[in-house]
Amino acid sequence: MRISTRGKYSLEALLYLALLPEGSFASTRTISENTGISDGYLEQLFIPLKKAGIIRGIRGAQGGYLPGRPIAEITVGDILRAVEGSLEPVACLSSGTCPAESKCITRHTWTHLYQEISSFVDSMNLADLVKSYDSMAAGGFAI
Amino acid sequence: MKISTRGRYGIRLLIDLAEHASEPHVALASIAERQNISARYLEQVAVILRRAGYIRSVKGASGGYTLARNPSDIVIGDALRELEGDMLIIDPLRPEEHENPLQKCVRRTVFDPLNERIAAVVDRLTLASMIGTVDPDESYMYFI
Repeated sequence: MRISTRGKYSLEALLYLALLPEGSFASTRTISENTGISDGYLEQLFIPLKKAGIIRGIRGAQGGYLPGRPIAEITVGDILRAVEGSLEPVACLSSGTCPAESKCITRHTWTHLYQEISSFVDSMNLADLVKSYDSMAAGGFAI
Repeated sequence: MKISTRGRYGIRLLIDLAEHASEPHVALASIAERQNISARYLEQVAVILRRAGYIRSVKGASGGYTLARNPSDIVIGDALRELEGDMLIIDPLRPEEHENPLQKCVRRTVFDPLNERIAAVVDRLTLASMIGTVDPDESYMYFI
């Protein structure tokens, strides 16, 4: 039951962008150097992230990317859904997709699991991640 | 981010056996039919559950499977871990693996707590509690 590399890398790249001083942006090359994620992979991830308004691109030779809205308004759930699709732990949760829906015993368990996952990722935003990063940095992990 | 078919079918196999616990054993073919799952696939799932000690096979022409433990002693999280390998949202950190600060922060702030929450849900559930309830909102109970 894994979050894909797309989800993991997107969170890391977005955390990097969120740590930049407000209004500044970074090229994929710079992001790549700081996250260890390849340029090409970042470009791929940035297509759905841009579409979802999570990041914004600045065109031009000196261009780059920055968060698409205030970082407190970008949740972990927004980022994961943009690159992973639905976060349902089983594909049958969307109502009406399963003929045995009304009598399925496992459905309640999977729904409960989904609610737990959703409520967590929707309650955490990039500003929280920045805070966590700062306190870890203060606690001594060297950057 | 999905539970695999193996995990889902394995839990349904356990539920079916628990629901038919009054019978000495249940043929895999009849579970396959009731659950609308291919018998061949169910056989693979049954092998995993048998090796893990959740079910017992009964040999013979009218053979089949039976639960090897009491439904209240079968924790759904444990069964899922046997079927899925683990219930982690991300590969655990290998001992020699080096993480940069960004990776470390995302792991500690997002992935570790998410793993704990998922574990809390599935470890709170037993096979017995699962077959007791269809939808608690409707207070619709199954009695066996």
